[in-house]
Amino acid sequence: MTEPAAAGIHPQSAAMSAPIAPTKIKVRDLHFYYNGFHALKGINMDIPEKKVTAIIGPSGCGKSTLLRIFNRIYAIYPKLEAKGEIVLDGENILDSGYSMNRLRSKVGMVFQKPVPFPMTIFENVAYGIRHHEKLSRADMDIRVEQALRSAALWDEVKDKLKQSALGLSGGQQQRLCIARGIALKPEVLLLDEPTSALDPIATGRIEQLVEELKSQYTIVIVTHNMQQAARCSDLTAFMYLGELIEFDRTEQIFTKPSKKQTEDYITGRFG
Amino acid sequence: MQANVGAVASTLAQEARAHRDARHDRLFGWLLKGCALLVLACLLGAAGATLWGGRHAFGTFGWHFLVSSTWDPSSDTYGALVPVYGTIVTSLIALLIAVPVSFGIALYLSEVAPPWLRTPVSSAIELLAGIPSIIYGMWGLFIFAPFFADHIKPWLTNYLGDKPDDGKLSWVAAHVPFVGKLFGSDYPFGASILTAGIVLAVMIIPFISSVMREVFQTVPSRLKESAYALGSSTWEVSWDIVLPYTRSAVIGGIFLGLGRALGETMAVTFVLGNAMQLSASILDPGASIASTIANQFSEAAGLQKSTLMALAFLLFVVTFFVLLIARWMLRQLAHKEGR
Repeated sequence: MTEPAAAGIHPQSAAMSAPIAPTKIKVRDLHFYYNGFHALKGINMDIPEKKVTAIIGPSGCGKSTLLRIFNRIYAIYPKLEAKGEIVLDGENILDSGYSMNRLRSKVGMVFQKPVPFPMTIFENVAYGIRHHEKLSRADMDIRVEQALRSAALWDEVKDKLKQSALGLSGGQQQRLCIARGIALKPEVLLLDEPTSALDPIATGRIEQLVEELKSQYTIVIVTHNMQQAARCSDLTAFMYLGELIEFDRTEQIFTKPSKKQTEDYITGRFG
Repeated sequence: MQANVGAVASTLAQEARAHRDARHDRLFGWLLKGCALLVLACLLGAAGATLWGGRHAFGTFGWHFLVSSTWDPSSDTYGALVPVYGTIVTSLIALLIAVPVSFGIALYLSEVAPPWLRTPVSSAIELLAGIPSIIYGMWGLFIFAPFFADHIKPWLTNYLGDKPDDGKLSWVAAHVPFVGKLFGSDYPFGASILTAGIVLAVMIIPFISSVMREVFQTVPSRLKESAYALGSSTWEVSWDIVLPYTRSAVIGGIFLGLGRALGETMAVTFVLGNAMQLSASILDPGASIASTIANQFSEAAGLQKSTLMALAFLLFVVTFFVLLIARWMLRQLAHKEGR
């Protein structure tokens, strides 16, 4: 970049009038290589606690890649490499010594397409909890109910907890996946285009749920739907070709973006 | 007028075409039905022929045929218990060994192995499946059985069996029920039920593991990612997600292997010892249905020949029940899952 990279390096301090909340995840000079391909080029951003941060950008800009580094899910595949720092609560999660198990209990993830496990509805939620805690039957029942209630699914499934989760509708399955994620009581929730496979009504319910959940969780949502970012996020990051172009309060990004590329993208000139 | 005639002609052409299509489809349908019925006819024909051939034996011995362990050509008295027992036990031992090993091979190849290793190992497994069974039989007879007799069998009989060489019972043989009988043997050679089971296991591992590997690869990566994202280890993802997702195909693969093991003739004939005696020990020689038929068919006549036919029919019945049990297991599992 020829322009001074001030906004790119410390977006919060430089571009934003004042930080809106304490930082939960601090990303510093993050590079990502995919089979040698340089997919993320020096990302710096501070993700605030208990806010919704949206990441937007055209296909292939690296937004999902970035999200998939936050819980190191990329590490299950060979030949992927992340360099730099991602500091969560003062610890660098990219350190080889950082426990994967602990990271994934702190950082939950919901994927693009709803993926219920081939088990009953109850087991889908209880499955993740069992990996991290030993609970009595009664306690487990309570935890599962709490998770399903928080995901606004309880009333629809309370009478069929013992039925296969594969029988639910797409929107219900996606809320089940959210319930499964929050059942672990994570601190951060990553949503990777969570509504791209859903109809408008189911999408509305998920967005409403995101709004409710942000009082308890730090949420990072990747979306290629700009209206969705505008509707339900506090902060928006715009990425293009592996770089973070602009990161600011959502109303700022959508009303007075400071970069030409951001403006072009949100006004629909490309992407 | 001209246009009208043209329209009528084209309608007629269309109708002719529709008729022709319907006729062709009917013909095609019959052809397909014929192919499918051919399978059924072969099955019924084979079962019927063996039953008809064995009618003399069934008529002579009645239900007693199934529970009698006598096999005496001099007095023309035959019972099917020894070969039926040998068939089932060798196949079960083979499954007991082959299923966990195949599961390990398939998981390693589909989940753990680096990509450059997957193709060569998978091809090697397929090559292994193509080896003719007579070669397994020769390997079993000339290499494995002597090795087994020299190195494995003495250890088993001395430490687990109730007939040790020095006459002193080991702790296991003295205290754990059945184990002493299972491994007790004074037969000095390598051919035994266990040997046959192990050779069979080696033969069916390629089948089971290649089916498992193929179905494990059909598990969507997003399903596995979701489980990893909840903090599961590779073992937990394999056991809790991959296996339940592919369960029916995995059971299908196992029963494919079992079907082969039940009917396998050459390799088993070489290493089973062909002794028409019933023994609780898996280190004693035995007989299977297929090996009995292969050994005796050329010289059999009269009632003995009919008995061998009856045995062949019993092999049909055993295989049929195995398939039935497989179906039933699948239904139980689906039921438990809440579908």
